[in-house]
Amino acid sequence: MIGIIDYGSGNIQAIKNIYKKLKVECKFVSQPEQLNGVNKIILPGVGAFDEAMSQLNKSGMREVLDLMVIDKQVPVLGVCVGMQIMASSSDEGKLDGLGWFDAKVKLFDENTIKHKPKLPHMGWNEIQVKSEHSILNLIDKEKGFYFLHSFYFQCNDKNDVLAEAYYGDIFHCAINKKNIFGFQFHPEKSHSNGIKLFKNFAEL
Amino acid sequence: MLRSRVIPCLLVHNKGLVKTVKFKDPKYVGDPINAVKIFNEKEVDELIVLDIDSSVNGNEPNYQMIEHLANESRMPLCYGGGIKTAEQAQRIIKLGVEKIAISSEAILNPAILIEIADIIGRQSVVVVLDVKKSLFGSYDIYINNGKKKIKKNLFEFISELESIGIGELVINSIDNDGVMKGYDLSLIEKVRDRVNVPLTVLGGAGTSDDILNLIEKYKIIGASAGSLFVFKGIYKAVLINYLPELALNKIRKISKI
Amino acid sequence: MTILKSTICTNCVMDTTDSKIVFDKKGVCDHCNTYFSDILTKWNPEGINDSDLMILADKIKKEGEGKDFDCIIGMSGGIDSSYLLYLAKEKLGLRPLVFHVDAGWNSQEAVHNIERLVDGLDLDLYTEVINWEEMKDLQLSFFKSGVSHIDTPQDHSFFATMYQFAEKHGVKNILTGGNYSTECIRNPLEWMYFQSDSRQLRDIHKQFGSNPLNQYPITNILWHKVYLPYVKGIKLIRPLDYMVYNKEEATQLLEQKFGYQRYPQKHFESRFTRFYESYWLPEKFGFDTRKVQYSSLILTGQMTREEALEKLRSPAYDPETIDEDFEYIANKLGITIGELQSYFDAPNKTYKDYKNQQSLYDVGAKVLRAIGLEKGGKR
Repeated sequence: MIGIIDYGSGNIQAIKNIYKKLKVECKFVSQPEQLNGVNKIILPGVGAFDEAMSQLNKSGMREVLDLMVIDKQVPVLGVCVGMQIMASSSDEGKLDGLGWFDAKVKLFDENTIKHKPKLPHMGWNEIQVKSEHSILNLIDKEKGFYFLHSFYFQCNDKNDVLAEAYYGDIFHCAINKKNIFGFQFHPEKSHSNGIKLFKNFAEL
Repeated sequence: MLRSRVIPCLLVHNKGLVKTVKFKDPKYVGDPINAVKIFNEKEVDELIVLDIDSSVNGNEPNYQMIEHLANESRMPLCYGGGIKTAEQAQRIIKLGVEKIAISSEAILNPAILIEIADIIGRQSVVVVLDVKKSLFGSYDIYINNGKKKIKKNLFEFISELESIGIGELVINSIDNDGVMKGYDLSLIEKVRDRVNVPLTVLGGAGTSDDILNLIEKYKIIGASAGSLFVFKGIYKAVLINYLPELALNKIRKISKI
Repeated sequence: MTILKSTICTNCVMDTTDSKIVFDKKGVCDHCNTYFSDILTKWNPEGINDSDLMILADKIKKEGEGKDFDCIIGMSGGIDSSYLLYLAKEKLGLRPLVFHVDAGWNSQEAVHNIERLVDGLDLDLYTEVINWEEMKDLQLSFFKSGVSHIDTPQDHSFFATMYQFAEKHGVKNILTGGNYSTECIRNPLEWMYFQSDSRQLRDIHKQFGSNPLNQYPITNILWHKVYLPYVKGIKLIRPLDYMVYNKEEATQLLEQKFGYQRYPQKHFESRFTRFYESYWLPEKFGFDTRKVQYSSLILTGQMTREEALEKLRSPAYDPETIDEDFEYIANKLGITIGELQSYFDAPNKTYKDYKNQQSLYDVGAKVLRAIGLEKGGKR
């Protein structure tokens, strides 16, 4: 059973629609008790870093998530801001992140972006795979995914980088450490590439 | 590298899809759900759906229809039409829609944009400005589906929107709507320089070359079109279509420069 | 599932799910025998020569001289009508207007294929869009009536609009992809009653519909089978009957030349028809239209009986997607899954339970067959 964390941030309905079509069991999880029986977790998120972090802290699920992800090594997939909060901190906000990755979230340097509009990074962009993993099986890298963000993830440990994308400069768009995955783009809004990604995650 | 988005725009009127010319004479084009389904299967970049009745008759958004549309969309969906409150915006977003488009209310009461952005995030707030050339060659902003002119200077208002903070700006040319003879390039040229947020243009695209030329010139811009993706040929036969493979490849090439 | 020998034709695969089927001493059904005695005597699938086809083409060209187009071709996006477009333009040198009716159920493949053919052959397209709110109401009426021919609203509208367009624009020749090669055996009336019977359509709508039918196009059998052809000279022509038409070869040609996308089964251009023929009809009524289609192909040597029997072992619908399709149909019709299921579970009715003009059809068919204008036909 895949648990989609419902803490008030992110397009959870779109993710559910995809798993429904794939005939993979999933449910929304808004309270810690509901995580019983969940063997994979999706952590969505949009908007601001601090907003997402404080909502997650208020939801009461923070402790159980840390336990499940770090101790029990339950596979977890973070989307967009859901991935960003896995870092230790962000330029965008004051709160600490989950700290699941040795990483920071930084603002794109507008000087590196030649054209207008500089921010946010919005639209379809291709990805470059840095490290092979079954979660990226059958993905059309040139077609890429849909991005919508102004801040990017920067891993300190290069081994954590699964894929990169280019916007002004190269940034880390897909990360992985053991059971933890994070994607800056929106697989739930990236047509067949996104569906494949979710399918691969379910099949891990 | 980031590619420009090519975005079909669908108009809903009396529960059905319509296409207008200069915002008049809505011609029935079919069922919205089937159209969105086909666009989804064609894997279009993004989709805009606008209810052209709600701002005029003050009705609540048709949440049931929106839910069905969101169910069919595996690409970002932007929905607009008569949205006045943050509650309405939030409810629509929760149905699985990415962005909400707001026009009349944003113009009459720009403060609402801050309220809405606070709840759903600025990136999800899209402002649509329907504009028409005035007798003097400048551009006037209209609300209520092109029925009422507003006394605001277009470029000043755009600056105002930018300082308030929005996710995207859509400039919709009433004069070129449905005419299919090309975008209003001089309007775009004037607006483009003053806009720092993502800009999307709508109104007038008649061929895929209109879109390619736009993207070649501006590199990153949203190219939206209604008639082009809904009609085919000299008899304007209704047939849902998107850019041909060749054109999509050209856009990918442009993005690599 | 075992198929008892005595219930299935020894020549084709029609069986007693067609309750009116009759077998001769050799176990061959009346569908096959009608083909041998009635159709084959007047239509030769092998001995057709090009000159008949060219004579037909010349006649159409002449009648269309000076007009923007010399014929209209009904195009659904299916193989038969798509191949017909190619034949008409490339081989016969005609100037057709491609006529498509959008009843709200177009699949992406159909739309893609229509676009490919229209662009690839550089043809003009005309689309008639049926008012969806009215179509929806009419389709729901048919579901509520319990009859088996619930695809009548789509079928009826296709022909009605095409005839109306032809009459309005003075087009004498309507070309369709109908053909004996793949349709020499027709669906039994019990399975699919005449879609053109406007009396039946109106009665079912009257009893179960909610909205008036203002824009929905209605035709009637006398108008398009008698008035239009004999008074206005508007004819329905089936060019595929004038040639050796092999479905598989036709499909491959379309794939290679135009990037045509195949459908899993005949009539799958429409999502509704796909649901109707693969699920609703076989599962609710026990009527599997594949038996009709395969039997036609068996008779014209395009499929073996063994191949057909093998294919019939699996259900017509795709078990992987059926739940999703069921939900899609319910959503699109604006009803709940439970409501759609209730129509499925309701008792089966037949066309006889509602007003109909069958007697008129019987008389007409006898006359047309007697004067040799029609071969075989529905029963």
